[in-house]
Amino acid sequence: MAEHEYVVQMKGIAKVYPNGVAANQGVDFNVRKGEIHALMGENGAGKSTLMKMLFGLEQPTEGEIIINGEKVVLSSPTVAISKGIGMVHQHFMLVPSLTVAENMVLGMEPKEKGMFMDYKKAVEITEEYSKKFNLYVDPNAKVRDIPVGMKQKVEILKALVRGAKILILDEPTAVLTTQETEELFKELVALKEQGYTLIFISHKLNEIKQITDRLTIMRAGKSMGVYETADTSKEEISRLMVGRDVVLTVEKDKAQPTDSVLKVRDLEYTNEWNKKMLNKISFDVRKGEILGIAGVEGNGQRELVDMLFNLNRPDSGTVTVNGQSVVGQPQKKIREMGVSLIPEDRMTFGIAGTGTIEENLISDRSADKRYNNGPLFNMKKMHEDCDQLIEDYKVLCKSRKQQIGMLSGGNIQKVVVAREFSADPCLIIADQPTRGIDVGATEFIRKKLVELSREGAAVLLVSADLNEVMELSDSLIIMYNGAIAAYFEDTSMLNDTIMGEYMLGLKQQSEEEVRRVQHGE
Amino acid sequence: MGNKTKLMFEFVRGLVAILIAIAVAFILIFLSSDDPGKALECMLLRPIISNGAFNVNSILTILGRMTPIIFTGLGVCVMFSANQFNLGGEGTLMLGGFVAALIGIYCPMAAGLHPVVCIIAATVVGGVVMVIPAILKVKLKVNEMVCSLLLNYVVMYIILHFLNNVLADRTKGQTQTLPFQETALVGDLVANSELTFGFIIALIATVLTALFMYRTRWGYSIRMIGINESFSKYSGMKVGAIIVAAQVIGGMLSGMGGAIEMLGRYNTFLWKELPGYGWTGMTVAILAKNNPIFIPFAAFFIAYLNRGCELMSIYAGVPAEMIDIIQAVIFLFFAAEQFMSKTRQKLVVKETKAELKEKQLAAEGGKA
Repeated sequence: MAEHEYVVQMKGIAKVYPNGVAANQGVDFNVRKGEIHALMGENGAGKSTLMKMLFGLEQPTEGEIIINGEKVVLSSPTVAISKGIGMVHQHFMLVPSLTVAENMVLGMEPKEKGMFMDYKKAVEITEEYSKKFNLYVDPNAKVRDIPVGMKQKVEILKALVRGAKILILDEPTAVLTTQETEELFKELVALKEQGYTLIFISHKLNEIKQITDRLTIMRAGKSMGVYETADTSKEEISRLMVGRDVVLTVEKDKAQPTDSVLKVRDLEYTNEWNKKMLNKISFDVRKGEILGIAGVEGNGQRELVDMLFNLNRPDSGTVTVNGQSVVGQPQKKIREMGVSLIPEDRMTFGIAGTGTIEENLISDRSADKRYNNGPLFNMKKMHEDCDQLIEDYKVLCKSRKQQIGMLSGGNIQKVVVAREFSADPCLIIADQPTRGIDVGATEFIRKKLVELSREGAAVLLVSADLNEVMELSDSLIIMYNGAIAAYFEDTSMLNDTIMGEYMLGLKQQSEEEVRRVQHGE
Repeated sequence: MGNKTKLMFEFVRGLVAILIAIAVAFILIFLSSDDPGKALECMLLRPIISNGAFNVNSILTILGRMTPIIFTGLGVCVMFSANQFNLGGEGTLMLGGFVAALIGIYCPMAAGLHPVVCIIAATVVGGVVMVIPAILKVKLKVNEMVCSLLLNYVVMYIILHFLNNVLADRTKGQTQTLPFQETALVGDLVANSELTFGFIIALIATVLTALFMYRTRWGYSIRMIGINESFSKYSGMKVGAIIVAAQVIGGMLSGMGGAIEMLGRYNTFLWKELPGYGWTGMTVAILAKNNPIFIPFAAFFIAYLNRGCELMSIYAGVPAEMIDIIQAVIFLFFAAEQFMSKTRQKLVVKETKAELKEKQLAAEGGKA
């Protein structure tokens, strides 16, 4: 194959982050003109890092990048855009308080009389591109009010308006419903037919098989080779990605739930933009069961978890743990009630990044009598306990004195989990407990969750990972638009199709059916 | 990066910052002095060596001048560790000196007891004053930096009011209070020098502050809140109370420093402006990376430079303001997070590569 057929060539790319993580180790990555090229790999395999370098967000430590046969240094996204590269980020880079049209022209606003922004022109541009690429958006709507699917279209259009010929899509379907995904795929194929080149980052096998031409697989910072999609079986891809045939099924006995530990009744919350995020939510979590909460992100799950740990106050409604109210209580008190929380945003709430592993392990128990039998800490006991936790939870580190921010995502999460699980909780709230971490750590954490629930803890599992909620939960709630759309007492009969319909709001159980989740009333 | 490499890197980075600052000073000295050689000798050597022998008097002066800035430095350490940029060290130090002076003048007591009571009272008052910015921060989200900065002037003018209008000793040619009672003075550690027993107290305070910050639950909470407030709240710490406590402790330390400085080096209260130890304390704390144990070393360095510049202005005609310029340059390079970040990145890359290689070797060894 002649070299010039490639629009993107990345040769021998290495990237070492300031925290010492070698995210890429000598990666070669080539994309042909006019193809949809999948970049696959598990979380943490180095896909995002590679793409950040192609979009000028990060600089490679070693290696070279060649665009359209020309060697380039992509020192910033501005440079990358000028070379015809556009990126649609997983977490949208839009200004929520501005309209779609304003977001479209951000930084390249059409001017009126040389000074003012020509809003009409902005709307025109938006409509023109919207029509040209058959991507429907409402130019005058505020971004915060439009659905996720449309936000993504805005992102794609934004890149196209800036003259992108090569589009990088970072896990574009992660936030979309099945129907929205189908629509996106049609649009992507249309773009390809118009001569655009698409790089599609994903780890969903079905999607890859469906729309891509070729695929590059990454594992642990290295490229595992390039393959024609049509000639490669799903099993083969899976093997290349994971390296062993990991089936993440966690064995568990049937749950034998007893009394309700957590009772939530009629919880309501309206956010600062006057959007009703929680609408009369009521449910119970019983001792000995794992209750899963599924749903497309942004349907009130985050707000709900905040209320359960008093990180935010509801407008009305009650939350009780073993009969004691949680609303308005300091976190210390809530922890004393036996509540543990694995927070969704582990870097903000889960850890103190520049602290040591030990300092992070004792954050909830630093005032315990165990460590305070005089005015000074009993360091010996503290060291012993920490070493034990590091061993029990298989945290890979040099010692307890290592800075926690230097660890990999999976090991950071193991530290969080070690702290939360070792507090002897009667209620564990696990919010996206395995997001963005490696398979080994994921498996470990899931097993631990099941183990603790079978030993008598009540577990509330909030996860956007459908496999995870279906695999781990004994019973399951689906949240849609701030309310409970469905409750399934038994998860063994469930499949994606049924769940998808409730998650999208196409179906809604009757009030009686939903009320079954309030046990003992 | 491993802990050792990191420590080494920070050390070298600090050294380079200091060297650059001194280099800048050299340039200025060459521009402003008739005899640059002599000026340099005065600044760098004469504080400890003159005429080929140890300059004992000068060394004692340096140690004596370290005393107040150790206290303000420790205070800043505690407050900055909690991520509270409280600049009230200046005002609390002056107030501490004033309170100690009042008790030293008007409350006769036994010789051993008198200075102790003065110092304790000053410590308490220093802490109480810092409650104001702390509570305003926690309850009303008032920026503690602005509040404490302005508070310094409120404190100063209240003191000046009493000094000028109420307490002034009218028999003297300048505005000053009555002399302290002999019993109240903090004794000299070495007779007829600037080095008092206050220096010993400062070293004890350093050890206690270090233990407090690294070996108690309160110090631990202060540090964790400084790193990540959301995390500390989520972990169940009483964030508001600890933010207040950190600032109160900071105020107490500088109040104590004020009393010791006043009763050790003066026999009447005559400060008519903020004495400047609070600002120096901030430089010291930044040099020490907010670690109490390093405070005396940083204080020594600053006091040494201070003395050097003083000698330079006496013997070589270089303006004493040079010290401010040098301090500012050091401050700049220390505070600049990205200073030498490329070198740091190179070290990280090197270390990571070595680690990867080791792992690979181990894996291959395992297979074989």
